Amino acid sequence: MTRALLLLGMAAGLYVAAAWSVAPGFYDGFGPQAPYRWVSPPPQFKNSNQPPQPGHGTAAVASTGVVNPGSVFTQDGQASASWAPGAFQAPADHSPVVIDIKPVATYPDPGGMHLATNVYCFTSSSPIAPGKDVLITLTFSDQLPAPSNVYEYQDSGPWRNIGNTGAAAPFSISGRATSLGCFAGGYPAAAKQSASGVRVGGGQTLPIVIAVAILVVVLAGIPLAILRRRSKDG
Amino acid sequence: MSLSAVQGGAWSRTAALAVLVLGIEYSRVLAGRLPGMATASLLVGGLALCLLALGRPPADLGLGRDRIAFRVLGGFALAAILLLPAAVRWGGGPSLPPELAVAAVAVSVGEEIAFRGALFGALAEAGGPALAVLGSTLVWTAAHALSHPAAFLPAVAAAGLLLGTWRWACRDLVGPVVAHVIADLSL
Repeated sequence: MTRALLLLGMAAGLYVAAAWSVAPGFYDGFGPQAPYRWVSPPPQFKNSNQPPQPGHGTAAVASTGVVNPGSVFTQDGQASASWAPGAFQAPADHSPVVIDIKPVATYPDPGGMHLATNVYCFTSSSPIAPGKDVLITLTFSDQLPAPSNVYEYQDSGPWRNIGNTGAAAPFSISGRATSLGCFAGGYPAAAKQSASGVRVGGGQTLPIVIAVAILVVVLAGIPLAILRRRSKDG
Repeated sequence: MSLSAVQGGAWSRTAALAVLVLGIEYSRVLAGRLPGMATASLLVGGLALCLLALGRPPADLGLGRDRIAFRVLGGFALAAILLLPAAVRWGGGPSLPPELAVAAVAVSVGEEIAFRGALFGALAEAGGPALAVLGSTLVWTAAHALSHPAAFLPAVAAAGLLLGTWRWACRDLVGPVVAHVIADLSL
């Protein structure tokens, strides 16, 4: 039993070390691994390129008058928006909020920034509620240098950096937006962005799952241990 | 029948099972790359992997209702370990759409039944527990070579080793199934 526990502990340690070496860590391949679809493909991808696809979705308004949480993806999975309850202002008639994502070919000059993804314009039939935000996630090619941040512009520009909250899957980058506009992943043109990879940061859902798992183990483990000890003593 | 003939039969069955598992995994990954086939390939692949355990008693697979609280609890503990490196560096991300979430559950359960259930049992029968843990980890890692970038394979192998070690140490498959499902739904 002691040997088994020791081996289990060693295997757990080895896993944590191996998963730590590659972000985000655990990944089971559900993210898109297909070649990136470019609006304007770099020369090396011109022959095999497929056009990127748009996305469309709705968010219903609950009976409480709050817009439900949800996500909208482009059909090829290259861009998405995710939001928490109440992220959008509820329409007066409680009709669903319509969200559209469209890859665009023309956009303001990014200046000193190099775009590493397509530019996607996000629109919604109702604006984001004050104090709320929407998580914009963009995938990028695994064949080119990775973006370091998500950039946004409204109307005719200029571009502004909205940062990088991390990645839920390899070759993706996310940023939180307080208003919808057009987004792309990029990095300063002067930066030496030599290797593709994933950028990661800090956030919400997954830590809650971990906390619940640990809580269940602790809360259920104590009575189990007591029962086991009692049955041994008895 | 001689002992060597029995062992030879066990090895042949194990090798055939490993090839079948790899074949199903590679087929579902390739099929999933076809337009509109992502969810269907996961569902059918998960079901096909489960079918590999047909005819084996649940106890041989590590399944059972005895010690169920311990088994489920172990699953939560394993899930916490699997997700810990990602949770520490988490920045939020889109959740799986419902249809893909159902498919992810199917393929998680199928993979555990195939790798840590049927294949582990066959390897243990042919060469003992050490071979079962290491062999099932090796085939598990090879099975993910198509769906994962090469940089992720060491982490995949380490996850297989952790789940396989639990399967051996606790004679249990419920824990790995619970952990795999939670981890896939969380990321």
